[in-house]
Amino acid sequence: MPANKKYLTSSPWQRWMKITAGFFGGYGVMITFFLMLACFFEKKNVIVTGAVTGYVLWALLLLFAFLSKSWWKPWIIYLALSLIFLLPYLLK
Amino acid sequence: MNNRNYNIYFHTHTISGIIVAAMLYVIFFAGSFSFFKDEISTWQSGKSAKEVKNKGLPYQLLLDSLDAKYNLAGRDINFYLYPNTSHCYVNMAASKDTLHNAKAKEQAYVGYDFAERKEKSYAESYDMGEFLYRLHFLAQLNQAIPLRIGYPVGYLIAGLVAFLFLFALITGLLLHWNKLVSNFFLFRPWSKWKTMWTDLHTVLGVIGFPFQFVFALTGVILIVNTVFLAPFSQLLYKGNMEKVFQDLEYAAAAEATFVGKPLTFTPNIQEYIDRTQKKWPNAFFNRVTIKNYGDESMLLAIESEADRQHSFAGTGQITYEIKTGKILMNRSPYDTPTYIAYVKSFIYRLHFGDYGGYFVKLVNFILGLGGCVVIISGILIWLVARDKNNVASHKKKFNFWLSNIFLAVCLTMFPVTAFSFILIKSIGQVNQSLIYQIYFYSWLVISLYYLIRRNLRRTNLETLFLGGVFALLVPIASGVFSGNWLWRTWARHATDILLIDLLWISLGLLALFAFARIRKQQAISAI
Repeated sequence: MPANKKYLTSSPWQRWMKITAGFFGGYGVMITFFLMLACFFEKKNVIVTGAVTGYVLWALLLLFAFLSKSWWKPWIIYLALSLIFLLPYLLK
Repeated sequence: MNNRNYNIYFHTHTISGIIVAAMLYVIFFAGSFSFFKDEISTWQSGKSAKEVKNKGLPYQLLLDSLDAKYNLAGRDINFYLYPNTSHCYVNMAASKDTLHNAKAKEQAYVGYDFAERKEKSYAESYDMGEFLYRLHFLAQLNQAIPLRIGYPVGYLIAGLVAFLFLFALITGLLLHWNKLVSNFFLFRPWSKWKTMWTDLHTVLGVIGFPFQFVFALTGVILIVNTVFLAPFSQLLYKGNMEKVFQDLEYAAAAEATFVGKPLTFTPNIQEYIDRTQKKWPNAFFNRVTIKNYGDESMLLAIESEADRQHSFAGTGQITYEIKTGKILMNRSPYDTPTYIAYVKSFIYRLHFGDYGGYFVKLVNFILGLGGCVVIISGILIWLVARDKNNVASHKKKFNFWLSNIFLAVCLTMFPVTAFSFILIKSIGQVNQSLIYQIYFYSWLVISLYYLIRRNLRRTNLETLFLGGVFALLVPIASGVFSGNWLWRTWARHATDILLIDLLWISLGLLALFAFARIRKQQAISAI
């Protein structure tokens, strides 16, 4: 019954890249996303909302990294998203 | 659902699940009992909460005695109080008044029991309720591994476990999504072992899903909210965490600049407390802060929670300037709560299950133990599914080795907990280190035994039997050693003590029933 191996990442390096992208990259995307919202809405309300929904978002981002077919795409996408979300804060 | 995604959900669910399994079991088991933390404390002390003469904290008396001992002039003082207990803590910071206060540099943190009206340290007031409560977020690991990595190790591990649990729940749900309805009523208890574990895991997992999801999420938030808050405090609050906590209504926003001129009169804190209590009937004062004691700039801030029967989320704060008696800030706990208060209250009420009396707590307790079953069946599926001829023998060995450890550690928690209850009751006077010794040494010994025994079925069967017998002995110990027989606690309406005894009786009977059923099943399959 274990999952069919042909669908799973076999290279340890690629697996490692996906895990780190999902965990650290996902965290970055999640935090910068709420940071962006904090630039437009009352910051303490954004923080308390983020404290509740942020972890679910982070867990989903971790999962999306595993669903990706390539090992570098999640890193690129998450880094790009983090940068975009960071813009309002940096420009302010 | 496409095949690739299905297998990825499957694999990530399996791996995240097996990594956290053992820790999560400990968290679930201890956590289920923690719903009854206060009841366990009263069970141990033998005095029902209603029977303790509790007139509340005598502020003036305590402040006078603390003043004589520590000299309070120029200090910031914090009182921390907790619902349903007579134990509170007082923190006294270093004094800003170096001129008049000879002990200015000293700081102190003391525990005080206001029912007994005496200082009582944390270790002295430690009981089984506190032990299981702290075990459910692995606090004891902080002391076992005194590693400084910016955050206590136990909490960090508990947080990581809770996060991976959340991840495993999401992947688990996606995995079963297509068959959610069709498999819901599928339970084939007496077919192959693997089918049985699978059905148990799926059915209990799906029924318990909303419950488990809530606890995974609120659990992560409560144990490691710093992970989320730290970047915001750095980027939006210039690193001032205290300001963040004030914004999130965790700490009284009361700032006072020390002027160095003593007040001409002795402040009467008790009078302010009584006046505030009259303003906010039945509100619980959870934190009382005094800034610059005895100085002209002295402030008194009282933080409170509304009576939960009247307001689900209300929190209040009032700040008095002592010199003039003026109110500097006033937010009643019975006003419409802020958005932040709502969200926070939602998290706390859901996690502590204290919004609907014993009924809600019992439902949570049962679902919590159901979570334990989901974890154990998960470990067994993991093992059985890999016990095939095409699996390399060293891998099989490892799988068995791991399952053996997990089951030996997890399943023995039930007899060990019941045993500790009995032993603690028979000893009577216990403190923190004695509870540690009783619980952890008995746990170590019995897990080592089953570790060496290397027979999963025996581990399961014998821990059920042992746990069942010990569980039934708990109410007897309560009767023999403190006279709290069931009928006596029933007659004097000591519901909290009675509840714990009844809980153990139900657990004991259930365990022995399961034991008998498994024995019968084995007898049949042996023929």
